[in-house]
Amino acid sequence: MTPKPPKGHFNILYFASAGSYTSKNVEALPAPLPLRKLFSTLEERYQGIRASVLDHSLVTINLAYADVPDDKAPEDKDEIVIQEGDEVAIIPPVSSG
Amino acid sequence: MEEDTRDHPFAYGTAASTLAARNGSSRRLTDDEFDRYSRQMIVPGMGKEGQLRLINSRVLIIGAGGLGCPAAQYIAGAGIGTIGIVDGDVVETSNLHRQIGHATSRIGMTKVDSLITHLRGLNPLPTYISYPTHLTPQNAADIISQYDLVMDCTDNPATRYLISDMCVLLCKPLVSAASVQKSGQLIVLNCPPTAQGLVDGKYAPCYRCCFRKPPPPSSMVSCGEAGIMGPVVGMMGVAQAGEAIKILASALHIPRQVTEDVPETNLQQPTLLIYTYDLESAVGPYSFRALKMGGRRKSCFACGAGSTLTLEGVKAGNPNYEQFCSIPTSKANLPPEERITAAAYHAAKEKGELPEHILLDTREKEHFSLGSIEGAVNVPFGKLLMKAASIKRGGGSSTDLLPIESSKPDTPIFVVCRTGLDSQETVETLKELGLDNGGKRKIVDVVGGMRAWKQDVDPSFPFI
Repeated sequence: MTPKPPKGHFNILYFASAGSYTSKNVEALPAPLPLRKLFSTLEERYQGIRASVLDHSLVTINLAYADVPDDKAPEDKDEIVIQEGDEVAIIPPVSSG
Repeated sequence: MEEDTRDHPFAYGTAASTLAARNGSSRRLTDDEFDRYSRQMIVPGMGKEGQLRLINSRVLIIGAGGLGCPAAQYIAGAGIGTIGIVDGDVVETSNLHRQIGHATSRIGMTKVDSLITHLRGLNPLPTYISYPTHLTPQNAADIISQYDLVMDCTDNPATRYLISDMCVLLCKPLVSAASVQKSGQLIVLNCPPTAQGLVDGKYAPCYRCCFRKPPPPSSMVSCGEAGIMGPVVGMMGVAQAGEAIKILASALHIPRQVTEDVPETNLQQPTLLIYTYDLESAVGPYSFRALKMGGRRKSCFACGAGSTLTLEGVKAGNPNYEQFCSIPTSKANLPPEERITAAAYHAAKEKGELPEHILLDTREKEHFSLGSIEGAVNVPFGKLLMKAASIKRGGGSSTDLLPIESSKPDTPIFVVCRTGLDSQETVETLKELGLDNGGKRKIVDVVGGMRAWKQDVDPSFPFI
């Protein structure tokens, strides 16, 4: 099992090419984090990951699909915020067979 | 339910076989059928009715490789009445560790014929139809329209988008799986099939609803390049057959009429199954994750409201799948003096004309471990780019990228990779980081990589 994230953090899982890009399967990032800021937060840590991986990947929070809003969108009180203890996953498409 | 006055292409979904399957024809099973299918017929939920639906069903398997082989075995074994198989390739030795429907004795045979030979041995009752060709926008509608359910067992994004679009247009359920290296994915799409343009949240998504954009070609790796573990792709193919059998036995493949009330069981959220197989931790827990997906996307290019996708359009080349999946990436364009052919590098080295230099090999370490040019140092491309990015952000010196013993600032660097693309990008990256010392140090790409080395220098080189 994935270790529980430390206090004030959420876990992020990197599948397929996301894992190769970050050289990690999982890491803990500081929570709370608005979902719309997820991609820019990752881009800061892994330069180029947005174009190579994130833009065509799907994102889940706690095993359910989540639609990532444009990060230039204005703050919205109803927006999805990743909370402490959540499990976020980056899932790029796989094509081979 | 949303009203939609457009014409729906239900004509394709109401073939005689589909109606028979829906009603579950009431004929007797033959003695052979009874014997052969007895163990699955007594499973709760299957019964004779389910078995007859399978016998009356027509399944199309696109791709007779790592997914298609295991999938086809269980589809044939379960007694699906008509099984079509599409694949344009021939059997090669390197397929056999995972493509278990082929055989050493059938190397060189078309994959379709090889697999059907195997399936006939397993179960001679189904009708097998072979399509020894690749699926194209031109032949896709004619082939897919003949079937009740489609299984995507292919190996490239362009075909995946084409298959999904055709399944939307022809109202076919699609069981899609994919696998590379150590991970696999499985998802049931467009099931129960619903006409294009109906969107109110409770209809099943298509491939484009889940994956709107293909990954850039540079980040795509094939099984030929990245490798694949047999049991990983096998697991996904078997699971794919399981989903297909379930859909057909319970008649979920019948296109839904707009006016029909939807039974509760059909409303379950589609699930994306992810299987991760960790070679590094042999005793860890099995990693399966079932992710809940959303429904049909209103703005989806293929199935959403106002979609302009049509059968005629696809046939005429609109959309252009190849172009959609090969968005040009910034290819380095090196001048001739920064490139050397594998043969010229070898000749110069043999004659002692090469000065002392560094030879960077940017292949993955598994490839490197199988064989390399004498004196080469392995710096895998992915790691090199990561390190370069962190140096650009101000973390460390650019010489950290080079092996320690080569500290002289004018020692030339040669870069070789697998097929000659990564090496060009590496040369560009090293120059950007100033490692050419304003032109004092030469940084040179070995054209065509280790593939050219094998072809032009050393035919016995173990190239994969």
